[in-house]
Amino acid sequence: MLNMQNVTKIFRTDLVETRALSDFNLHVKEGEFVTVTGPSGSGKTTFLNIAGLLESFDDGVYDLDGENVRHLNDTQRSRLRNEKIGFIFQSFNLIPDLDLFDNVDVPLRYRGFNGSERKRRIERCLELVGLANRMKHLPAQLSGGQQQRVAIARALAGEPRFLLADEPTGNLDSKMAHSVMQLLKDINDEGTTIVMVTHDPSLAREAKRNIFVKDGKVSDVTHISASAPEPIASISASGARHV
Amino acid sequence: MLHLSSWEIGPIFRAMTRNKVGAVLIALQVAVTMCIIVNAVHILMERTMQMARDSGIDEANSFYLSSTGFADDFNDQVVIQTDLDAIRALPGVIDAMQINAIPISGGGWSMGLQTQPGAEFEGVGTAVYMVDDHVLNTLDLELIAGEAFKPSDIRWRQRSQRDWPAEIIITRALAENLFPEQSYQDTVGKTLYINDDEPVIVKGIIDKLQAPWVGWERLENAMLSPEQTLFSSSTYFIRTEPGRLDELMPAVEQMLADSNKGRVVRGLRSMQETRDRTYRRDQAMIKILTTVMITLTLVTALGIVGLASFNVNRRRKQIGTRRALGASQVSVLRYFMLENFLISSMGVILGAVLTVGLNIYLVQSLGLTKLHWWLIPVGMLTLWLVGQLAVLGPARRAAATSPAIATRTV
Amino acid sequence: MFNYYLRLALLSIRRNPILSALMVAAIALGIGASMTTITVNYLMSSNPIPQKSDQLYYVQVDSWDPNEPAEEPNEPPEQLTWTDANNLYAAQKAQRQVIMATTAAVVEPPSQDAKPFNAYIRLTTNEFFPMFDVPFLYGGHWQASADKGREQVVVLSRKSNDKIFGGENSVGRSLRLAGRQFTVVGVLESWYPAPKFYDVGTGAFEEPEDLYIPFLLKEELQLPNGGNTNCWKTPEDDSFAGFLRSECINYQMWVELPEEQDKQAYLAFLNNYANEQKALGRFPRPLNNRLSDVMQWMENRQVVTDDARVMLWLSLMFLVVCLLNTVGLLLAKFSGKSAEIGLRRAIGASRQALFYQHLVETACIGLTGGIAGLALAYLGLLGIGSLYGSFADNLSSLDINMVLLALLLSLISSIAAGLYPTWRACSIAPASQLKSQ
Repeated sequence: MLNMQNVTKIFRTDLVETRALSDFNLHVKEGEFVTVTGPSGSGKTTFLNIAGLLESFDDGVYDLDGENVRHLNDTQRSRLRNEKIGFIFQSFNLIPDLDLFDNVDVPLRYRGFNGSERKRRIERCLELVGLANRMKHLPAQLSGGQQQRVAIARALAGEPRFLLADEPTGNLDSKMAHSVMQLLKDINDEGTTIVMVTHDPSLAREAKRNIFVKDGKVSDVTHISASAPEPIASISASGARHV
Repeated sequence: MLHLSSWEIGPIFRAMTRNKVGAVLIALQVAVTMCIIVNAVHILMERTMQMARDSGIDEANSFYLSSTGFADDFNDQVVIQTDLDAIRALPGVIDAMQINAIPISGGGWSMGLQTQPGAEFEGVGTAVYMVDDHVLNTLDLELIAGEAFKPSDIRWRQRSQRDWPAEIIITRALAENLFPEQSYQDTVGKTLYINDDEPVIVKGIIDKLQAPWVGWERLENAMLSPEQTLFSSSTYFIRTEPGRLDELMPAVEQMLADSNKGRVVRGLRSMQETRDRTYRRDQAMIKILTTVMITLTLVTALGIVGLASFNVNRRRKQIGTRRALGASQVSVLRYFMLENFLISSMGVILGAVLTVGLNIYLVQSLGLTKLHWWLIPVGMLTLWLVGQLAVLGPARRAAATSPAIATRTV
Repeated sequence: MFNYYLRLALLSIRRNPILSALMVAAIALGIGASMTTITVNYLMSSNPIPQKSDQLYYVQVDSWDPNEPAEEPNEPPEQLTWTDANNLYAAQKAQRQVIMATTAAVVEPPSQDAKPFNAYIRLTTNEFFPMFDVPFLYGGHWQASADKGREQVVVLSRKSNDKIFGGENSVGRSLRLAGRQFTVVGVLESWYPAPKFYDVGTGAFEEPEDLYIPFLLKEELQLPNGGNTNCWKTPEDDSFAGFLRSECINYQMWVELPEEQDKQAYLAFLNNYANEQKALGRFPRPLNNRLSDVMQWMENRQVVTDDARVMLWLSLMFLVVCLLNTVGLLLAKFSGKSAEIGLRRAIGASRQALFYQHLVETACIGLTGGIAGLALAYLGLLGIGSLYGSFADNLSSLDINMVLLALLLSLISSIAAGLYPTWRACSIAPASQLKSQ
């Protein structure tokens, strides 16, 4: 599904060259739920941006669903993002001026579906996240957990093969975080591949495999049994980072 | 690949209704701007058309000047004849004559002509030019019917003399005003009445000659009366060969001043100068309105640029998210262009209403003419275009937003 | 606190230099354009003789054609006939009265160096000068006896005194005018009433005449007609006297009537006079005599041109566009500061305090725009001066009233434009901006 070999990303300023990723190797199989953890500045976000085709890289090979993405132009990358990848962001990134229906509609518009198809998908996805009855609400009228559910509905609406989640529970309290995690696991059980970036090791334990990133390299891989997960706790404090 | 669904008209519109003020402000600005610009263009066109009217004479190569005698032994009649002979003899002068008033200059003499005698009948107003037999050549007029004046037709007119020569030449416009049912050729030989009951006969018809007053509704009503005037001051009108005007103007002035010390020579002016002075206010109005239109368009465009830039900055995260969700650069560009187009559309529709409203006001209270209907769609198109051009820059910057913004948390 | 707000305003302006510059430019352009046209309209419609404009009346009597009015709709003729001007003057029924006309004649200066020139002359009676408060530099006006005696006396404008006598006190000196010897009795100070209210017939903003001489010299010297001459009837004979006796109008009359009852009495006198003339076979139209005070007469003669009105309207709308622009930009600017405002609210600033803070910022922008606008208006008036030439010489100057008006207008309009954005910015709830979005 996702295959990175020796992917290298260098940030250059006039004075210094920073290797955000160097010879990064990762292989994610179809249907996997992989978490990526690591300390701040380890390259997690860079990995996420490259994996999500949000940023280009300097060296190495990245195949997404069997397609080498290294030399795709902006429009091709946009289409690939639209068709194959679903994004879930830490701060939800809902569009404040649009109601839930129109928010979930955004990627479908770029996909070029006709009106009835879009409506069918939006309703189904909002149903799935339990917000079908609030379709005409604005994001500001929802709680954080509900907003993230809308974001998940938006990510799923295009029926992507691959979900990329960036600290999806980072702005939520533990109870909401738990239910969002449960939702993601359900989605994964349906067959969607998920890669989730988090700095919280306790969350990582929920996944099937955890990758620990340090200094732009994969430094450790942990396979986790599918047995009973530990309860997720003490995540809510992370919100303070973002003031 | 273009899908209509990716044009997002519905969502753009719904997002706009949640953020009304900004959109309404731009729309209002567009509306008022359109109202001003269309009305200004209308006035401008009106003035330009007025100024483009042909006076009928060879303006480019003509000038005039006046001589006022003061010496006790000053003999007008002799001086005028001597002056005219001397001027006509100058190389480069096509012809010259004495005239009582200058076309389009603002000052002149008018009379009423009527087709039946009697004070109870209304006359048709006409400008009166007192000229001699050189008139056709000097003013570059074309005689289109009847006959020209002969030297023997010309008489001297004293200061307070009331009667008129027996025969006159009139313009085609005047002929048609007097006899609306007849063709102008047939008016030659007809008797007209001046001063209620004094008969004059139409000797000839000239194609065109404007009156001195450009604001007059009967500007092309003029008659030529075959006489030279013995008033306190005489004006000479001189037509030169092309290109010799600048050299002859001071030469004639000097010649007249030197030939007789008992007079003041003054008012040397070319017809071009006269036209400029006459239409100075219209010229000024045109320049002012043009300046207003340009600055106004600029202000509105800058306003759109300012607000759009601000909106792009404010929505950077949103744009990044859209990009992450698969929006191509073109879709982002299109989003902002379309948003502006929708706002401008509201503006120009309101603008069309305002434009007509202002025009109605100007027609009623300030005597302007009615707007040409097609100016409104042209105005709408122009403002649409201005809006699109203004938003292009900010929209391109929006399109260049990196999708990686979406994963940044602050 | 005000100083603190001022500092914050300057900081904020400096933080968004482009946005701030756009706002200042928009206000400046709007103020500049509207002040230019307001000034032109103000000067056109200004009262040229405010101290007594409601005591001076222009006299009209309807001596016109029985078949049609002098001007639609049934207006009396704009000027008087020679006969009526002289009769009404001779009656001396007003506190002061003046009859007048314009003419032109050649002036031969006494000095051999100065060349003869054609001068524009006002024929008038002696009370012209005290009645219109005309200031004298040297000497004074002639006496009523000079009017009656048709004495060859002349009052010079300051400009023509400079031209003929090099600016010296020329009272008592003589010059040749229309071939006769005239004695100078007075020289005027610079005097440029705008509009030239006492005779707007040949342009309301032209310069006053070069010389002033007694009215009856028109007849004595057979001087030509200046201004507009209109006749509805042909003169009875070809002589100059015949023309003067005719129904041709070329003369103006003003009377000074201090009280309302004086005015009523004078109007009654005019009607009485018209009836007497009817008995003599003149005045074939119904009674239609009129007294208009200075401002009414300016209104009647449409001294404020339609062009100036059109420009005024357009420029006021221009100002509206500029203000809408400013509202939009301020809204943008202040909403960009919502985080800061939320923080200030959280720290304890009252809504009122924030409101003042932003109002100060708005006022700074408005005043800067206003001052820049004044400079633009000055340029605009220079431009109008050069476009219109001599017509606008008396119409394109900024006086202190206009400067104050411009500053006030810019302040008021920018604050009006700033109120809504400021109110919106200050209605942000203290907590809403503290969380990350």
